[in-house]
Parts: sequence; structure tokens; C-alpha cells
Amino acid sequence: MDLIVTLGVNGLATGMLIFLLAAGLTLIFGLMSVLNFAHGGLFIWGAYAGVWIYTATNSFILAIILAILTGLVLGLVTERLIIRPVYGNHIQQILITLGFMLVLQELIKVVFGPDQKAVDPPAWLASSFQIGDVILIKYRLFIIIVGLLLFFTIFFLLKKTRIGLIVRAGVMNREMVQTLGINIRFVFMAVFMVGAALAALSGVLHAPYSGVIYAEMGLEFSILAFIVVVIGGMGSFTGSLFAALLVGLAQAFMAYYVPALSLAVNMLIMTIVLIFRPQGLFKVKG
Amino acid sequence: MNNLLKVSKVKANIQQFHILHDINFEVPIGEVTVLLGRNGAGKTTTLRTIMGLNPVHNGSILFKDEEIANLKPHLIANKGIGYVPEDQGIFEDLTVGENLRVAMKREDQETTERLDWILDLFPDLKKFWKKPGGQLSGGQKQMLAIARAYVNENDLLLIDEPSKGLAPIVVEKVMETILQMKEKTTILLVEQNFHMASKIGDRFYIIDDGQTVHNGLMEDLRQDKVLMKKYLGVS
Amino acid sequence: MNLITRMMTKSNMIYLGIAALLLILPFFLTGRSVQFMITQIFIFAIFAMSYDLLLGYTGIISFGHAMFFGIGAYTTAIFMDRFDANILGLVLAIGVAVLFAAIVSFIVGILTLRLKSHFYAMLTLAFAGLFLVAAEKWRDLTKGNDGFTFRIPEILRDSTVMYIVSLVCLVLIFFGLRRLTNSPFGRVLVAIRENESRTESLGYKVLHYKVLVSVVAGVVASFAGVLYMLSLRFVNTSVFHTDVTIDVLLMTIIGGVGTLVGPIIGAALIELAHHWISGLANVHWIFERWIILYGTVYILVVIFFPLGIVGTIRAKLSGRSKSNVLEKKRAS
Ligand SMILES: Nc1ncnc2c1ncn2[C@@H]1O[C@H](COP(=O)(O)OP(=O)(O)OP(=O)(O)O)[C@@H](O)[C@H]1O
Ligand SMILES: [Mg+2]
Repeated sequence: MDLIVTLGVNGLATGMLIFLLAAGLTLIFGLMSVLNFAHGGLFIWGAYAGVWIYTATNSFILAIILAILTGLVLGLVTERLIIRPVYGNHIQQILITLGFMLVLQELIKVVFGPDQKAVDPPAWLASSFQIGDVILIKYRLFIIIVGLLLFFTIFFLLKKTRIGLIVRAGVMNREMVQTLGINIRFVFMAVFMVGAALAALSGVLHAPYSGVIYAEMGLEFSILAFIVVVIGGMGSFTGSLFAALLVGLAQAFMAYYVPALSLAVNMLIMTIVLIFRPQGLFKVKG
Repeated sequence: MNNLLKVSKVKANIQQFHILHDINFEVPIGEVTVLLGRNGAGKTTTLRTIMGLNPVHNGSILFKDEEIANLKPHLIANKGIGYVPEDQGIFEDLTVGENLRVAMKREDQETTERLDWILDLFPDLKKFWKKPGGQLSGGQKQMLAIARAYVNENDLLLIDEPSKGLAPIVVEKVMETILQMKEKTTILLVEQNFHMASKIGDRFYIIDDGQTVHNGLMEDLRQDKVLMKKYLGVS
Repeated sequence: MNLITRMMTKSNMIYLGIAALLLILPFFLTGRSVQFMITQIFIFAIFAMSYDLLLGYTGIISFGHAMFFGIGAYTTAIFMDRFDANILGLVLAIGVAVLFAAIVSFIVGILTLRLKSHFYAMLTLAFAGLFLVAAEKWRDLTKGNDGFTFRIPEILRDSTVMYIVSLVCLVLIFFGLRRLTNSPFGRVLVAIRENESRTESLGYKVLHYKVLVSVVAGVVASFAGVLYMLSLRFVNTSVFHTDVTIDVLLMTIIGGVGTLVGPIIGAALIELAHHWISGLANVHWIFERWIILYGTVYILVVIFFPLGIVGTIRAKLSGRSKSNVLEKKRAS
């Protein structure tokens, strides 16, 4: 029983981290119909920037703030330089963002050095609770709470404000949205920046969780985020939460019970979904 | 100020083509001003240019005595101009309700009242509230587009050929609505359907080959068979 | 006879002429390293052409083409290492490599090619990632990232022989693919690229065509991997890296998508650039991080030079720009 709880908490924490990464991806795809292969590059930049200041100041809060700022700035740059010239042309978009992904990943090595870096959780999150026989590691609970908070915030923004509608309308007819008094360029940019900030946040939260960071994580986590987005349904926000948790749990349990399969379990789930429900578990509106 | 909009000596290009050569007209407050002219004369381009969707090459566009030429479209819109484009510009995948919601800058009492008022004029929109805009009929799309331009408190509405492609009975309906809206806002209307134009218009300007060539009161135009034949091909 | 006269069009004469020149080249250029480098160009040209079949002709984006290259490479390496390094073993290795690549590309294709183009891009990236991890973890078989060297059939160890074998393969595959793309089958592919739903409504089973072309591309890529191993005689996990996919993307796009000749030129340029840049590694650190350079060039080319070299020349010659997968707006 306690084993199951422990594995469950592990899985949920991993799932939440993947969700934060996938959320930005699916948001940008669902609203702006832009598939950003460079998303993992934003993740890894968030991780490195955060860890850099964390090592320097020992403040994890500062690390989170810097990671978010890095995400916002890189999101801005990516949108203006990489995405804007190719809005509406999916093939160019896909090709170009993958190229940018590799550039971002390689630049990490230039700026922060090519070696991997070890990271510990901050002191205030390092310990654990014990309830009966179950040991709950604080940092994991922290991640789960942050993930849930962000999920509900974004969910609320999408449901209760016009922002989601505006962005979707803007993709359908840019001119018309402008004549309704909306600065669509700015809205697109803002959505993109928020998506990028989510990726960067996921990166910095992931660092103490996995204990090390290295540049190639960018591409690895891109792939993970894609898998989640495909399982959840491209562009479905709620879908990506469920898929991320599913993947996180499957990974945690597989790693314990069938370690040989833990690598392939995501691919396995995705393959099954693609065979039986190619549109993903959650149907996308529109 | 009794002219809400004053367009003077406007020249405008689309890509390398000179489309508008010399457009001059005024839209008095509280009236319906109609732009007439044959196909390809430049009526749509004139509205798009006012809206900022097409750059002004030369000349001035004053809205409430303020220069708006070459401002960004969203800034122009926020000064109080609503636009119903020739193709209606419905967001096809959004429902009727969502189409309206995108437009609503505020969701206060007043906006809701305006919305209710316009929905009472177009009960169809209420009926198909959850239907995607792309699945509406031509007339319903037109009504949605008009409603969408109307929900915000705009001082001026630009409406481009609302009768285009509609059955006569639907045209009547649209016409009635615009007549009712006339009580509340100033309207600049592009209309080929002369019956409709003469029924709701107060003043007219004729555009020919990118120039305003004639203007006057709508009631005078009705008598002037020569003018109508020359520029509008109506006899 | 008929076939031969048909083959003798002007452009074919030129291509065959160039091939003949290249064929006698090694008798003048006897330096091993030069021969080796040109051999590499031939091999990557084959690889890039297989990519062009997907991207240029059909409008399919794959981010896992390295996977097929790696499949060919590892199959050869393992067969040569575990069994006798003779011609029979090699033939067997080629057979297995080709079959393996065909099966993988078929599975990936059937899963995602009925969906929008980004699914294929994502899934191929994911599969290639899986192969890379598998190659790293399954050390008994692959010796992981350290890799291993192996023996190959005696006759192929001579660099001139390897040069000629690669050239002959390139020429044969080039003409084979050209026939394929000029055939009715190829025209359906282009129709799919131009407008998939229209092609479908004309009664073509688009999915069949797409899966088939992805299998052909996978098989050819895998064969390029086999040749690569024969020329290198060493394998490690780098054959599965995304860098390899980026290389082939760059070759195809710089040369000109949808032209087949373009990727050959692209392969030559990129291989030469690799050679040149690795020589500069100690001049400035940026040359060690060549991915940054390549990635940047690649991004700029996609935005500003989407027709590539051959595409641009052809557009100039014919006076108007032919449609091209990268230029097409609103592709889904
Ligand atoms: N995108 C464009 N590119 C080039 N020329 C254009 C473009 N749009 C319009 N034109 C030209 O500009 C001129 C004016 O067009 P406009 O649409 O303003 O006419 P209109 O008076 O609204 O006609 P209609 O009554 O048919 O709607 C026409 O000659 C048209 O061919
Ligand atoms: Mg018009």
C-alpha cells in the first residue's frame, strides 16, 4: 500500500512537470495553430538560467523568477524572429522550429559550459513528511501543488475570459479581429511568451527533481511533451493534464515493476492511442 | 463639429496598383451616408482604407476632428468605428455567441443592453446561438456581422454591401434593422441595391474609378435619371 | 533498344557524363582521404535523395530519418562483427537492414500518415529518440556510445573500390528514383503535396501512396547507412543523432527540395563544409559548436531561400517560380 502511494506521488510529480511543459506547447498549438519544435529549448534554458542563479544566491524563489523571465524573453525572441515570418505555413514552421531547437540547445553549452550540472532541492523543500509508513518528499508535493495551481489558473483564464476566443478568432481572420479593436500581434506574442514561460518554469522545477541537468534534456523533453500532447489530443489543455499524469504514473510504476519497459512505455501508450483514438483522448474543439 | 468623418484628397494603393486617386467626402453626425458606384469603383477599398486595413498614400482622414490616416486598425476601431466587411468576416469555427463575445470589449450593463436590443432585431441569432458561424446562411451571417459591429458603443459604423447575395425578403429585413440602428449611430454605407440605398440613405457620394465624382441628397438623386444612368447603370 | 533511346535525353546524357568523369577521377586523385571524402558525399547524396522523396515530392516532414540510416549502419556493423566478413554476410546484412527499415517505416507511416503532417514529424522524432536510447542502453550488442570497429569483405577495404561502389550505387539509385518520381506514381505524390484532399477526392488512396513512399525512403536511407558503414568500418550511437537528420534536412533544402539533383549538390556542399569547419575547430570556439552555425544557416535558408540552389536555377531558367513545398502557404 505505502509503496503504491509512494510510486503514485512520484508519478504525479513527474506528470505535473511534463504537464507544465506540454501545457505551453498545447496552448500555442491549440490557440495559434503553431507547432513549436523549439519548445524543449525553452525548457532547458529555463532550467539552466534558474540553476545558475540558484547556485549563485541559493534562493530557489529567485531561480523560479529568473527562469520565468528567461522564458518570456526567449518566447518574445522566438515569436518575432522564428515564428512570425512563417505564420500559416506549417511545413516551414515545423522545419524552422526544429532548427531553432538545436541552436538553443547548443547555445546552452556555449553559455553555461558543456558539462552536466548537479542540483539539489532548496533546504525548505528538501525534507519529507512521514504519514504512517508512507514517506512523502516535500519537493514532490510542491511540484504537484504548483502544477495544479497553474492548471486551474489557465483553465479559468481560457474559460472565463475572451482571451482564448480572441486568439482563435485571430488565427481564422486576423484582419477582422483587428477591426474589432484588438491588437492581435500583441495577443499572439503574449500567448507565445506565456507558453514559453511555462516551458522554462517546468525546466527549473525539473532541475532539483532529477538532480542533474544537461543540454540534451531539451530535445528529450520536447519528445516527451509531444508524446503527451498526442495522447491528450493536440491543442486540448485538459487533455494534456490527463495525458501528462498518465505518462508520469506509467513511468513511475513501470520503472519499479518492469524496468526494462520503462523507457518505451510512453511510446507504447502513444502508439495505442494513435491506433484506437488518433485524435487523442480528449477531443479538441473547433 | 457636425461632420463625424471627413475624408479629403485620399490616394491609396493596393500593392503597386493605384486604386484610389482622389476621394473626398464627409459623414455628418446622425445620418446615413451612402457610397455608390459601379463594381470595381473603389468603394470597398475606401472603407478598408478608413479602417486602416489599407495604407493611405496621401491625403487625410479625420474622425472626430482627429487624424486617423495610417493608424493601426485596432487603434482606429477603438476610437469608435465598427466595421462590417463585404465578406462579413465571420469567425467560422466559433459559435454565434463566441463571435459576439470576441467583439465585446466590456461586458457591462450597457453592452448587454445593446446586445439584447440587437438580438431582439435578429431572433435567428438567438436561436442559433451555439451554431458555428460557418454554418449560418448568408442572411444570418450578415446579421451576425452587423450585430458584432454594433455591440460595442461605436459612433460610426462602416457597412459594406449588406444586401449582397441576399434574397429580396432578407434584404428587407436587413434594411429595417439598419433603419432602426440609424436612430442610434451614424452610418457610412456602401450599397449597390438602389432601392435599399434610397430608402435609408440621407446623402450620397458617387465613386467612379477611385474618385468621388458627385454628391448630394439622396432624394435629389432619385429624380436625377441622367446621373443615375451615367454612374450607376440604373435607369 | 527502345529503353536505351528513351534514356538518352539531353539531361540524362549530362548526368551520365558527369558520372563517367567521377568514375575515372580516382585514377588521378589517389589520395585516400580525398577519395574517402568524395565517397562520403556519394553516400550522403543517396541519403539526402531518399529524404527528398518525402519532403520534396510528397510534402512529408520526417525528423527521424537518421533512424533508418542508423538501422542500416548498425545492422551492417553487427552482421560484419558477429558473422564472417564476407560478401555473403554483407548481402545478408543488406537484406536484413532493408527489411528492418521497411518494417519500421511501415509502422510509423501507417500510424501517423493519415493524420496531419506534424504527427509524422513528432512521431519520427520520438522513434528516432527511442532508437538512440536503445542503442545506448543495449551495450551487449552495440557497445553504446563507445561503439566498435569491425572487419568488412576484403575487396571493399580498398578505398578506390569503395569509391566506385558508392558512385555506382548513387547513379543507379538516382536514375531509379528519377523514374519513380516521373512515373504516374510520382505524379500522384506531387498531387498529394499540392493538395491532399483534392487528390483523395479524385479517388486516390492517399494513405497508401504516402506509406509506400515512406517505406521506399526508409529503405534507401537504410541502404545509405550500409554504405556508410562499409566506408567507415566503425559504428557508434552518433548515427542515430538528430544532427544526422539536421544534416540531411540541410542538404535537401539547400540543394533544392523536389529536384533529386539538389540533394546531391547539397550533400557535397555540406560534407565539404563539415570538412572545412572541423579544420577550423581550434581557430574559434564557434566552429566546435558547428550545430549553431548549421542551425542558423538552415533557419535562414528555410525563410529566405526556400527553393534551394537547383530550384532557384530552374525557376530562373523557366522564368517563373515552380511551386515548392516550402513556399506553399497554408499547408496542413
Ligand atoms: N488585392 C487587390 N489587388 C489588386 N487590385 C485590387 C485588389 N483588391 C481590389 N483591387 C482593385 O481595386 C479596385 C477597387 O476595388 P473595390 O473592391 O474597392 O471595388 P468596389 O467598388 O468595392 O467593387 P464592388 O462593387 O464589386 O464590391 C478594383 O479595380 C479591383 O480590381
Ligand atoms: Mg466592394
